[in-house]
Amino acid sequence: MKMEDMPLSGPDNTKLEALVHDIYSELVEDACLGLCFEVHRAVKQGYFFLDETDQESMKEFEIVDQPGVDIFGQVYNQWKNKECECPNCKRLIAASRFAPHLEKCLGMGRNSSRIANRRLASNNNMSKSESDQEDNDDLNDNDWSYGAEKKARKRKSDKNQNSPRRSKSIKHKNGELGSSVSSEPYKYNYNTGISYETLGPDEVRSLLTTQCGVISEHTKKMCTRPSLPDADTVVESDSFDIPDGQTLMSRLQWEDSPDISPADSASSKASTNHSDSRRPKKKKRPSLGLNSGGGGSLTGGGGSSSSSSQSNISLSTKKKRPKLSAPSISSIYDDLN
Amino acid sequence: MSPAGCPHVNSFKVDNWKQNLRVIYQCFVWSGSAETRKRKAKSCICHMCGAHLNRLHSCLYCVFFACFAKKHIHEHAKSKRHNLAIDLLYGGIYCFMCQDYIYDKDMEQIAKEEQRKAWKIQGKTGSMRSFECALCASGIGEKYSTWEPTKRELELLRHNPKRRRITSNCTIGLRGLINLGNTCFMNCIVQALTHTPLLRDFFLSDRHKCEMQSNSCLVCEMSQLFQEFYSGHRSPHIPFRLLHLVWTHARHLAGYEQQDAHEFLIAALDVLHRHCKDDNGKKANNPNHCNCIIDQIFTGGLQSDVTCQVCHGVSTTIDPFWDISLDLPGSSTPFWPLSPGGDGSALNGESHTTGATTLTDCLRRFTRPEHLGSSAKIKCSGCHSYQESTKQLTMKKLPIVACFHLKRFEHSAKLRRKITTYVSFPLELDMTPFMASSKESRMNGQYQQTVDPFNNDNKYSLFAVVNHQGTLESGHYTTFIRQHKDQWFKCDDAIITKASIKDVLDSEGYLLFYHKQFLEYE
Repeated sequence: MKMEDMPLSGPDNTKLEALVHDIYSELVEDACLGLCFEVHRAVKQGYFFLDETDQESMKEFEIVDQPGVDIFGQVYNQWKNKECECPNCKRLIAASRFAPHLEKCLGMGRNSSRIANRRLASNNNMSKSESDQEDNDDLNDNDWSYGAEKKARKRKSDKNQNSPRRSKSIKHKNGELGSSVSSEPYKYNYNTGISYETLGPDEVRSLLTTQCGVISEHTKKMCTRPSLPDADTVVESDSFDIPDGQTLMSRLQWEDSPDISPADSASSKASTNHSDSRRPKKKKRPSLGLNSGGGGSLTGGGGSSSSSSQSNISLSTKKKRPKLSAPSISSIYDDLN
Repeated sequence: MSPAGCPHVNSFKVDNWKQNLRVIYQCFVWSGSAETRKRKAKSCICHMCGAHLNRLHSCLYCVFFACFAKKHIHEHAKSKRHNLAIDLLYGGIYCFMCQDYIYDKDMEQIAKEEQRKAWKIQGKTGSMRSFECALCASGIGEKYSTWEPTKRELELLRHNPKRRRITSNCTIGLRGLINLGNTCFMNCIVQALTHTPLLRDFFLSDRHKCEMQSNSCLVCEMSQLFQEFYSGHRSPHIPFRLLHLVWTHARHLAGYEQQDAHEFLIAALDVLHRHCKDDNGKKANNPNHCNCIIDQIFTGGLQSDVTCQVCHGVSTTIDPFWDISLDLPGSSTPFWPLSPGGDGSALNGESHTTGATTLTDCLRRFTRPEHLGSSAKIKCSGCHSYQESTKQLTMKKLPIVACFHLKRFEHSAKLRRKITTYVSFPLELDMTPFMASSKESRMNGQYQQTVDPFNNDNKYSLFAVVNHQGTLESGHYTTFIRQHKDQWFKCDDAIITKASIKDVLDSEGYLLFYHKQFLEYE
């Protein structure tokens, strides 16, 4: 008689229950026996003691839960002097300044190409003062201007008008720069001597749709940084290498298109707020999420809001937007919403 | 003779003793196939009292079974002077002279081999549906055996009594990370990854075999990171090599001063995935076939069904995903009602009145059927023309670690701002209602999902929460991670402090990491 066929109640029930109980207790006993054998063997083979720990070590690694100290019992913010060796140039760099150093070291920063171009251009005429100035420029980059001594400043009003290398007010810990840097005009690869009066309306329009165009009071030079997105341009539109609406809409089968990687998060694609294309073959992509994460860090780094606000501009650097293709894509997405 | 052996076995170890012992193990101890099991059940009874149980032993010198509990085997040993018997349940050898179980090296070797053989047979015949058999059959491995120290190792361990043991009140596994210059976006993700249980286990058991020639394998660096975290060092780690490697391999990220933690997560997973391909020699860019640890843990399948409104034909695609990005109320696109057509007014109504939005609300919205509108017609293969359609997303395959990304940073055409709407998220999450299979049963008329208490496939536990404080322009990332069962810690760059569950659940939440509660073999 199968177990399922047995009635759940009635005179047979007690027999069934007794059987069940027997089997159960046998299984439990067998399991206990197994454990006993394990321990017996460990003791006899001499490795049972390995389970023990020593009090000293236990105390050493105990979690501390007190205000003002971390779980190791250490006071906060004592790690200012950590250093590390740059894998690229092998120099010893302060840990809290490693990222900006690496950016320039690898030639990836916004300004790195500028610096490199300048170096190439003035290679033959390199004088000591210039090279000093260049080093100063590197260290002086306002984006990375934070440190224990520097206080956070709101510089949002400045960011649109000044190029990032502007050193109107240098309050750096690199005290050796002094004020001498600010007095010298920076040598940019910018157009010099532009005055809007000399340009016709079409020229002005084409100029201003692609570049910032603000003329600095200080150096009289025009900022050639690519302009911020317009109000009617969807930011993410130029993040697609293939500005083809149909490609976006066509669904790629998982099996058929093996080069979709989960980095092209389908969930993001499907979202209605904005589409994050995450194709890894892309070189540069505007940071669609929070791009100021890390700014104003509370410890060690002490980032200022000015440096993080600068990064908003960085959204649109490096890549000139293919403005013409943008509207067609954005409209498809607008309709989806 | 091992120290745990005894001299009395010598009289047994004569002639063809090895083969005899093997036969005993094969027939009466480790039964591989159904036939041997039947034979064991039928023939192994106490020759004196007829009992099946009571710790049956078999005499090693002759064919005689007797129970231990009633001392019947002892009587046999005394009368016949057969001093060795074997326990039929676990294969231990008992010496009646020593009056104890003994562990002889040679005999144990035979026992182990026979046991292995039996496991393999069990797996092949599929007679049992235990996980261990599935393991054998699929060739993944053998029965798990614990580590045993060698003599030399035992000596060393005895001479060095200091131990580091990870208990529930232990700092080992936790470590701060220095901020390298607005790199808290990286630190917060590193904390989440180093506290992902499966990933931790993979790296701590040294499963990565690197085949990259240069020093630039990110997986190796990850492995190194785990070593650093479990080293017991108290000073924070400086992840400069990690940053360098990520920037080298994910150029689209490099050079930005501050970045989005979510972007960093995707980029890091992508690079790890690409570098992992060497572990199993398969192509990295075929997500369907890659079996690297990243794919095993993080990759899920998102099913997208596009239903033609005219012919009701459904076109289904499945895309791999590493994260789910969820829209939030408070953005410029409306959150409620869930969809133009409505998903049943009951759902809408109850969500409206309960107050705070929950993660489940966001997921419900994510998986709602969405009417695509007349200006976004899809070419229907059934109708052979462009038709209006409804699109719906559901989970086809859930990853072991599910990462939910709350889209707090609005970058629409009109606005750029941070959405600070509080979204409450649970410690335990059941993903069953959002599965593709649930949707099918919904479409078949079963609107109310009966929650199956025994189906644990889709139950998840929260283990890491990444938070962002501040505004769009300026902010800072921190992470809450779960170390032991219910202990949470706040990781703020170099500062690790204890946190309460309440702190975690009250936090704003930007990236939520959930881990499957029950893991099963495929």
